Amino acid sequence: MSDKLEGRGKSVRVRRLLPATAEEVFDAWADAGSLKFWLCPGATTVPSAEVDFQVGGSFRIVMSDGEREYVHTGRYREIRRPERLVFTWSSPATGDRSTLVTVTLQARGAQTELVLVHEGLLDERAVEDHEAGWSSIIEKLDSQLR
Amino acid sequence: MRFEPHALDATYAALADPTRRAILDRLKEESSRVTDLARPFTMSLNAVSKHIRVLEAAGLVEREIRGREHRLSLKAEKLRAAAEWLEPYRAFWEERLDRLEELLIQRRAEQGGSGER
Repeated sequence: MSDKLEGRGKSVRVRRLLPATAEEVFDAWADAGSLKFWLCPGATTVPSAEVDFQVGGSFRIVMSDGEREYVHTGRYREIRRPERLVFTWSSPATGDRSTLVTVTLQARGAQTELVLVHEGLLDERAVEDHEAGWSSIIEKLDSQLR
Repeated sequence: MRFEPHALDATYAALADPTRRAILDRLKEESSRVTDLARPFTMSLNAVSKHIRVLEAAGLVEREIRGREHRLSLKAEKLRAAAEWLEPYRAFWEERLDRLEELLIQRRAEQGGSGER
């Protein structure tokens, strides 16, 4: 796994109001036990999470859908309890390329607003099947379907 | 599908083949009988059928059987989902945050219920 970001790609942004203090939300990102509960889907399997929660420290989280295991790895870049957490993120879904996740937390009364930005996402199809250019073909098909 | 980033894998794999793309290309004009669809291809009907089955498994085409006639048509919504390749990433985090919310609610209930633990 390379830790170098490719510096291109797109991002998604997700916002959520959570019923807890910023500290409580932040801490749920910080320990393996919590991460195993909420970051790994699938109650029937036993996922694993190894977390070295410090700047420069890495994590390795294994998720399972019951058939296959998906390994997620990354490194913590910035840890500022309770308002900001930045880490690299590499998974089968990112084509095992390093991407960047930034989590910011802000108190909203008794609740906490979480904003997550996942950036550096590349279109697998554009990357893997460049010659065939099939992402442009889908776009063409898609535009005709609209 | 619990883990959305992989939900589109079958779609991607199905679309990665030029014959299958050509089949979709023809079906976007109009639905077609399997035999008519196979005609312009140099490969056997059997080989084309195999490609069609991959497209069906990926949910990209739909087969309607009327007597002996098998008609294929395009399933537009799946193709649209494939075009919106960023969506699975968003869905992944939305689902994870649902679960985080669950954990926080659970912890709050435990604190409230167990007094001074």
